Amino acid sequence: MRVLQLAAFLLLASVTAVAAQGRGQASPASVRPAPAAAGQSFSREQIDTGRTRFAAQCGFCHGRDAAGGEGGTDLTRSALVGTDTRGDKIRPFLRSGRPDKGMPAFSLPDADVTAIVAFIHDQRDQAAAATGGRRAVDLADLQTGNADAGRRYFDTACARCHSATGDLKGVATRYEGLPLLQRMLFPGSGGRGAGPSPKPPDVRVTLRDGQIVTGTLAYRDEFTISITDSNGWRRSWPAAQVTYTVDDRLQAHVEQLGKYTDGDMHDVLAYLQTLR
Amino acid sequence: MCWPTCRRFVRHVEADLQVRLQGGLKTALYTSALYMLALVAPAAAQSVDPTALLKPPADSWLTYHGDYSGRHHSPLRQITPDNVGQLALAWAFQTGQTQQIKATPLVANGVIYLTTPDNIWAVDARNGRQLWRYAYPMNDGFHIGHRGAAVYKDSVFLTTPDAHLIALDARDGTVKWDVVIADAKKGFWSTNAPLLIRNHLIVGVSGDFDNLPGILRSFDPETGKAQWTFYSTPPPDTPGSVSGGATGGQMWMTGTYDPELNLLFVGTGNPTPVLNGEVRPGDNRWTCSIVALNPDTGTLAWGFQASPHDTHDWDASEVPVLVDAEFGGAPRKLLLQASRNGYYFVLDRTTGKNLLTAPFATVNWASGVDEAGRPTPNPAKEPSRDGRLVAPDEAGGTNYRSPSFDPATGLLLVSAHDAYGIYFFKKEHGKYGWAGADYTVYGRGVLRALDYKTGQVRWSHDLHGGAGAAGVLTTAAGVTFTGDSANSALALRTSDGSTLWHSGIGRVGNSPITYELDGRQYVLMGGGSALFAFALPSPQ
Repeated sequence: MRVLQLAAFLLLASVTAVAAQGRGQASPASVRPAPAAAGQSFSREQIDTGRTRFAAQCGFCHGRDAAGGEGGTDLTRSALVGTDTRGDKIRPFLRSGRPDKGMPAFSLPDADVTAIVAFIHDQRDQAAAATGGRRAVDLADLQTGNADAGRRYFDTACARCHSATGDLKGVATRYEGLPLLQRMLFPGSGGRGAGPSPKPPDVRVTLRDGQIVTGTLAYRDEFTISITDSNGWRRSWPAAQVTYTVDDRLQAHVEQLGKYTDGDMHDVLAYLQTLR
Repeated sequence: MCWPTCRRFVRHVEADLQVRLQGGLKTALYTSALYMLALVAPAAAQSVDPTALLKPPADSWLTYHGDYSGRHHSPLRQITPDNVGQLALAWAFQTGQTQQIKATPLVANGVIYLTTPDNIWAVDARNGRQLWRYAYPMNDGFHIGHRGAAVYKDSVFLTTPDAHLIALDARDGTVKWDVVIADAKKGFWSTNAPLLIRNHLIVGVSGDFDNLPGILRSFDPETGKAQWTFYSTPPPDTPGSVSGGATGGQMWMTGTYDPELNLLFVGTGNPTPVLNGEVRPGDNRWTCSIVALNPDTGTLAWGFQASPHDTHDWDASEVPVLVDAEFGGAPRKLLLQASRNGYYFVLDRTTGKNLLTAPFATVNWASGVDEAGRPTPNPAKEPSRDGRLVAPDEAGGTNYRSPSFDPATGLLLVSAHDAYGIYFFKKEHGKYGWAGADYTVYGRGVLRALDYKTGQVRWSHDLHGGAGAAGVLTTAAGVTFTGDSANSALALRTSDGSTLWHSGIGRVGNSPITYELDGRQYVLMGGGSALFAFALPSPQ
């Protein structure tokens, strides 16, 4: 387990993704949405009611057609929606939200939630049937890079942490298109469609009595440092009462964002696509 | 099917009856009032005189920005850098909603008016107790957020997700009148906190998902009668249009006002279609602009475009902050804006002439700054079929949360955001509404203190999160109130940004305000869906 923890996040992430989502070997993003599971038919009236309720409550972020708007993801390609049966996933998700990701919790009347679920499924079915969805970014759109140039760039800029034969071996079989691009630019961006968040950074906390506690980062702000220890327990300290170091390897991705030209970005993507 | 409409009809009838009943009651009371003048004199003070907005009293926060200048600065001095560490909860008001509070509360006559989409509460400013609540009937407009209310005499005004403007009796929340600002069926909605200037109630709308003209309207605050409409972009196919075929430019944020110049300053939104720039060549005036209008007529005095030909959703709706201060060796009437496109602008607000343009957040989209002080968009950073890596992202270098100008230090404090997004557009995305796709890749919120003369960052305070969360309030005592992007309300030393106090009330989603009642200074901040009032420990 220790070895696994030290392995680069992409490999681990893909393993976790498969385990968590039970989707076999293929990445969620590379699979066209499956037809709706049995028993998912909704009445036209429900769908129509859902359309107006969805527009009012969700449309600003997710678009009136559920295919993405300001800030919100394209729900017609959402992994959560893909595994939902008549609201069994969407309903609890709506109730709790994901405030840390900007998704608020909603307490809507039950009938409204049912209608919204009906509408989202209907939109998803329609999107699956349509070609060249309105806001879709297709795999073919992203093929402007030069893989050789991308390899040279990779060797200079990325090889300090990544290896084509190590952590990134076969990455193109796990991710492709937009999710691969998002993951390349900043792992964890792109929502569930781009796979799970990378493994949290390792943290080493030195207490006042000199005791050292290690774990992975669970939470950090100006006043608190919180870790998950090796037994899975959360531990927190007032940040001012301890010293700590965070091995945040993702910072290299942040710095790289300011260095890429658009050409570089597409070249590196082209190169990653060769890692099958 | 007709449920919302029927509900509203009933509401109209109720409201009408109430107005008539109150009218009768008022006549009856008037006679007795003549005999009790001394006793009712304090009651007359309950009505908010529009001239009070020119010099707001310390016990109030009468308009969205607190005053007409948009500085979001208070002269109160009871809470100081030395004692702010003792700040404690005075009370909390639970809205009971899941919606985060994004609105700036108003305070008038010891009553707080707080809004979320479809809701307004009147809350006792001394103890947080609800006095009344008005809930607008269910409707199909966007319920994305709400900025706040406006007050005038004995009325309080609420805009709605389906773009209505409602006048309520400030005493009990009964509807006085309800008028349509714009047609919600076409895609307009409103989150706007109206701005009152004398007898003009100025109201903006939103509407990014349809190709709609940009409109700002003025209404009579007594009757709801429409007075004028300003178009930032004309209705489609208007001859002689300066917008180059663009629609949009919605004025969804509350403007500021200079009574000496009699000019209203408003930021305008992005053009539509949003990401498809091909079908709207040229600068697309007056989208992404600061416009100066005569509040009596709605006529344009001048305009300055912060983002010519925007293709990234960077409206220039952020607060145009009015400051009278020295610039270039002479006292000037300035207008400061930290704009969503990541650039800080200083304008001469008499003429609209640009005095300074400087980035305050990470930007990579402009190839330079032109003679008029406008950043020149780099065509290579327009959304494309294969995607362009652009800074900032769609949420921008800053957003609607109020900045604050502190006169003592000359600092403009801005909730800034260093971020990257990838922007896509291909012909198949069409030319209606969003017309493209964009994805945030990374963002980091940081509070920045800008020297107003140079735009240089004097200090930064990390907000520990992916996005800017809260607006900013400064006080004459040298304390800055804001919230971080994690979990805390913050008090900072304005001169250097160091932390003096914090409270883990949840993410602050609005702009803090302050007022003094019974000799006690309160600071209000929204944490999640609750409103928190902090004060120094009560002497009792």
